[in-house]
Amino acid sequence: MKMKKLCAILMACGMVLSLAACGGSGKDTQPTQGAAQNEAEAEDTKEADDSKDQQAAEGAEDAAGEEAGESAGDAQAAGASDENIYGGLVPMEDADDPITYTFFVRDPGTVPADNNPVIQKITELTGVTIKFEFLVGDLDQKLGVMIAGGDYPDLIFAGDAGTKLRDAGAFIPLEEEIPKYPNLNAMYGDVLKYLTQADGHVYDMEIYGTFQNDVTEVAPPFECGIGFYIQKAVLEEAGYPEIKTLDDYFKIIEEYKEKYPEIDGVKTTGFEILADGWRNWALLNPVQNLLGAGNDGAMFVDQNTFESSFFQNGDDAHAFYLKLNEEYQKGIIEAETFTQNYDQYISKITTGAVLGFYDQNWNFQSAQDLLKNDGKYERTYVAVPIANPGVQDAYLDKSNGIPSGTNGVGISINCENPERLLRFFDWLLQREVQDYLQWGEEGTDWVRSADGGKELTPERRAIWYDTAKKRDETGFTLWNYCPKWQGLYTSDGMPCGTGESPDEFLASQSDYDKGFLNGYGIKYPAELMSDPVLRAPYYPVWALPLEDGSPAAVANTKITDVTMKFYPRLILAKDEAEYESIWADFLKEFNAIDLDALKTEIDRQIAEKMAK
Amino acid sequence: MNKRQKTLKKLAGQKVLFFMIIPCMIYTFIFSYYPLSGWIMAFQNYKPAKGYSGSTFVGMDQFMFLFKDVEFWRSVRNTLAMSLLNLVFSFVFAIVFALLLNEIKSLGLKRITQTVSYLPHFLSWIIVCSLVSNMLSTNDGMINNFLMGIGLIDKPVLWLGEQKYFWWVTTFSNVWKETGWNSIIYIAAISGIDQALYEAAELDGASRFQKMWHVTLPGIKSTIVVLLIMNLGWVLNASFEVPYILGSGLLQDVSQTIDIFVLKYGMSIGNYSLATAAGIFKSVISLALVFGTNAIANKLGESSLM
Repeated sequence: MKMKKLCAILMACGMVLSLAACGGSGKDTQPTQGAAQNEAEAEDTKEADDSKDQQAAEGAEDAAGEEAGESAGDAQAAGASDENIYGGLVPMEDADDPITYTFFVRDPGTVPADNNPVIQKITELTGVTIKFEFLVGDLDQKLGVMIAGGDYPDLIFAGDAGTKLRDAGAFIPLEEEIPKYPNLNAMYGDVLKYLTQADGHVYDMEIYGTFQNDVTEVAPPFECGIGFYIQKAVLEEAGYPEIKTLDDYFKIIEEYKEKYPEIDGVKTTGFEILADGWRNWALLNPVQNLLGAGNDGAMFVDQNTFESSFFQNGDDAHAFYLKLNEEYQKGIIEAETFTQNYDQYISKITTGAVLGFYDQNWNFQSAQDLLKNDGKYERTYVAVPIANPGVQDAYLDKSNGIPSGTNGVGISINCENPERLLRFFDWLLQREVQDYLQWGEEGTDWVRSADGGKELTPERRAIWYDTAKKRDETGFTLWNYCPKWQGLYTSDGMPCGTGESPDEFLASQSDYDKGFLNGYGIKYPAELMSDPVLRAPYYPVWALPLEDGSPAAVANTKITDVTMKFYPRLILAKDEAEYESIWADFLKEFNAIDLDALKTEIDRQIAEKMAK
Repeated sequence: MNKRQKTLKKLAGQKVLFFMIIPCMIYTFIFSYYPLSGWIMAFQNYKPAKGYSGSTFVGMDQFMFLFKDVEFWRSVRNTLAMSLLNLVFSFVFAIVFALLLNEIKSLGLKRITQTVSYLPHFLSWIIVCSLVSNMLSTNDGMINNFLMGIGLIDKPVLWLGEQKYFWWVTTFSNVWKETGWNSIIYIAAISGIDQALYEAAELDGASRFQKMWHVTLPGIKSTIVVLLIMNLGWVLNASFEVPYILGSGLLQDVSQTIDIFVLKYGMSIGNYSLATAAGIFKSVISLALVFGTNAIANKLGESSLM
């Protein structure tokens, strides 16, 4: 009897839950239907079907024309003049014929929910489903296993680790394919030579950055992505001073720490240095920035002669780590900073009691988001333009429009229908589709601002700045890993995405942040820094691929090893005498590395890229 | 002649047993011996795209790279030191724990203690290491708070930042995690000891401690020896997770093990040949250790593995 009752209750619960689930998914799909109606502008379904058929016919003609030997130049002209060859959010001709492509992405991440309304809509319009696989564990290992088994997904975005795959012959060449597709050609046509690898083939479609083309131009930065960050409260307390040198920087941190030994009940930490595994730039990189370089990597490159040199063992490095040693003696830097891992670092920043650190924006974004969610805007961070006295800081990049050649999506030799995949990418590159993926629909998701720009509605903003919702309710993931337009559209100066829209940036600022920017009399935080620097074509060094197992690659690893070992010891030295003796040991081990092998290889690659 | 016939007859008689062993032989061949053919890449400059046949032979270059590198020898030292410390301490702790557990009279208490003690075995190293690093933290870490509370130290010790502590940190993390689990086999061995021996010892007037020493320990001696020999074979393999997770630049000189070295200079920069060469080196040392211990056990008149 009892059992039966229990069963009945369980079943009832199950039914309620499944009903709720249905209700949920129903709601999710509603906006999509709305979108279809909006875009189709009262076209009924029959008409849509008709136009689809028509399109199919046109598509066939087009293809025939291409086969007949239409020159690449013509295709390019067509692409530039007519971005909407597919007619916006209008189905592709073979949308009824579903096809699935697998896509491996080198980032750890989560696959968008199956009921993501935007991605569902795209699948409905194109017939294409992209099945994402994100990295779990170690990238090199994952790629090694892929190569060993020849078991490639259809699409791979492996970043600079892609060298391995290219060497293994995992990709199909694209240099003949790209010019056939107007939008893809508009994006990559002008920069194909930079995407060409040593063997004369193009394997990647670069997905990050704005490239030289007729459709988009580079957008100005709002926030600085790298540098010495400092809590806004510290600057506010000091009366919004101009901070230009390390001495200025540490001075106001010291003063603030003395005045507030605790923040919200947590002991104040002056300066953090994260040195956990590959996240080691806070320890290894700042010296090059002090010398007035950007984020180049393990080498300093003279911007006149384009010859590389090592900054790790020079006087500037000596002075920098001595300064950090001094701050350690004063208690601004704690020894524990070198033993903590990334998670501990993030949770420490999240307390709001860390006054400063050197980092890259994306690396501590999650902590900053949490601080914002807690309403602790004064505990969020801003980068300040620190360089050696007399040197102009160069933290901000002005993109040179040249792709790195390593940060792209490649189509693997296992892909059965690359033609349709490229056509899908081409379709995605229509402005309407791009807008739909990032901005959503006008009116419900975004609106025109007073001065004609674009900004998100408050509801959409809540979704967009929430990682999980952004992934599951917008087209972000699909947009992010496929070829995409970035920057500003040249035709009307409109931003491609939300991150490039000044109106959206200003609208999303809290009252505190507005006050802070007002205190400095600037519009965007990035204005604290010197003007963006136009980078040379080789930039950056870290993106130059080193051949697997080559002496240069070994030297590169050794440099990381030796510096990771000695720099913390230097900073934690008891006194200056000990510092000097550790420095001498460091020089001995550092200079024993086959530095020439790396320098020669880097110089060769820089010269090669500069000559293109 | 006669002898050989006898052997053949014996073999024929055990025909069925031979048939039964064939699948195991095939399995062993496919999964243990066939992959050894990949060792060839240790003598090549192996490129996955070219395969074994297309890659160039470089002789002993990969081995020379290893043997010339100070870091590599440091890694060998660290691996051996940490593994031996682990081996000794986990043996001692497991055996003592099993002996003590055996002395508990209350069956319920004994079972609870045993279960609780082997639960940490099922935690992943990632979790255990973050527990350890939180406990050893200078910022409100348990160990530092305790030591400061009883007045042994006056300011927090950076346990995970000083080289001299690191091997002990890894050893005791391992002891904490594995003692309960390792003791299971000894507890099983102890329960197999003839109860009559204890009764006889009691009649002779042996105390509890004397019974442990003269009856229980000799009773599980052969188990201890066999386990020791088998574990020695793993000495060079058993040190990756803890040093990798808890290690940092500060500790590199004492925390980098062979496996970490191989990961950095072999796998990460795509030099699979180097990784294989280091693997061969490890296998040779492990074999030597196993046979060496086996020989010593033989000499001492103990039951040996082979």
